[in-house]
Amino acid sequence: MSSVSKPTKVCFVTIGATASFDALIQACFQPDFIVALAAANYTDLLVQYGRDGQRLFEELSSRQELKSIVTRGFDFNSKGLGEEMRAAKGTKEKGRESAEGVVLSHAGSGSILDALRIGVPLIVVPNPSLLDDHQTELAEALQEQGYVVHGRLRWVPSTFAFLILLIGRSNLPAAIAESEELRKRQQAWPPINSGVHRRAQGLAGIMDEEMGFLD
Amino acid sequence: MALAVLFRLIFTALALAIILVSARILQILPPRKPPVPRKRSSPTTLMIVLGSGGHTAEMLAMLKDLDPTLYTRRIWVVGEDDWLSKKRAVEFEQRLEEKMRAGGAGKDGSAVKADNMRTRQELRPNTGSNSYTIAEVPRARRIHQPLYTTPFSALLCLWACVKLLMAPPGVGHTKQPLSLQSKSKFSKPSTYPDLIITNGPATATILIIATCMLRFFNARQADTQGKMRTIYVESWARVKRLSLSGKLLVGVVDRFVVQWPSLDGVGGRGEYLGVLV
Repeated sequence: MSSVSKPTKVCFVTIGATASFDALIQACFQPDFIVALAAANYTDLLVQYGRDGQRLFEELSSRQELKSIVTRGFDFNSKGLGEEMRAAKGTKEKGRESAEGVVLSHAGSGSILDALRIGVPLIVVPNPSLLDDHQTELAEALQEQGYVVHGRLRWVPSTFAFLILLIGRSNLPAAIAESEELRKRQQAWPPINSGVHRRAQGLAGIMDEEMGFLD
Repeated sequence: MALAVLFRLIFTALALAIILVSARILQILPPRKPPVPRKRSSPTTLMIVLGSGGHTAEMLAMLKDLDPTLYTRRIWVVGEDDWLSKKRAVEFEQRLEEKMRAGGAGKDGSAVKADNMRTRQELRPNTGSNSYTIAEVPRARRIHQPLYTTPFSALLCLWACVKLLMAPPGVGHTKQPLSLQSKSKFSKPSTYPDLIITNGPATATILIIATCMLRFFNARQADTQGKMRTIYVESWARVKRLSLSGKLLVGVVDRFVVQWPSLDGVGGRGEYLGVLV
């Protein structure tokens, strides 16, 4: 089957600007992940690999054998990643139609917010090499609210961490399938402040209070 | 005998000093006196402390509805090598300017909402390159910097913050409202920012400490004028536990805002207003 008949469908992987995250780049070239992408009709794997990731990306990319998936990569975009995220979002514009894909992101708040605002299905992968696991907290909370799929590089309950060597594999292939489900029930960001968000004044109200504005 | 008396004297003096210093610290910690009332038309200086990466992205997101008719002058504080945050701040200001120009068309150039009709003559959005400044401070700690040199770089940062607060660039000519003008000819009129808002990079913690020091000594009426009020917004990335900056500042800042219900009321001070980013 030629790729001409299939609409473009992009999986955009981003590791962010601050820290390196080789484990995520590696996980995206695991054969079972590539197979999962192909099964979900993906055509492109676009990787933002950061300052130190180029060599790893090129090596993995050259070994990637499945020809139905085109891999491309870049280090960083100082204009922000909006353009790449919109490429993953897809377009209905005549002549350049492309299907909606997915963004696979590290769990940094800036990248998560970008993807949520554009409204593209998002898989969030916390970086386990960071000592403080606040990234995992955020990913779990957002998955609970139905905004993202929480991707794990190694699916092992922490009590059985010694099993990592035996069954340590990422859940990312499964996450690709889950993100297809997420696509159907995508919610808008930001959430509407109501109910428990009882004070509608928001930050502007607090700022005005502290400034002591009279009127 | 004489030596014992001397020791007793020194001890008493020391104890007295400690009591006085603690009393003063308690005095400047929150709750502070309510803010000095002012008209919406008065010139104000807002200081915004950016971190890097996520901190900057979140700050710009929560300020996206910032009203330049109220906050007429903005000072953006960035780490000295953080060119990306600098770029984002300039882009933010440019968008603000475009928005005001677009919104003001057909309404005689002012972007005032209907409920402010009364004061519409006085309220003008202040945007463009004269309305904001980007100020750089050295980083408190660079990435990969060894721990034992951190106190020194943090001190350098603190010093830069004190200097910045005492003489913010480009703010010297702002006229003070009459009620705030200095009465004594011995103290210069202060140019402290009215409000400081941050969401927790290390630089911000140092800057807040700098405001406390200035208020402790009431340098140029830092405390009595009621300026430099502080708002801390905990990062949206913090769901259940505060960040280190948050833990340090929860008892120090005037308002402590969190973005997840699980942190509401944290430290007896956390205010949850819904998601702000």
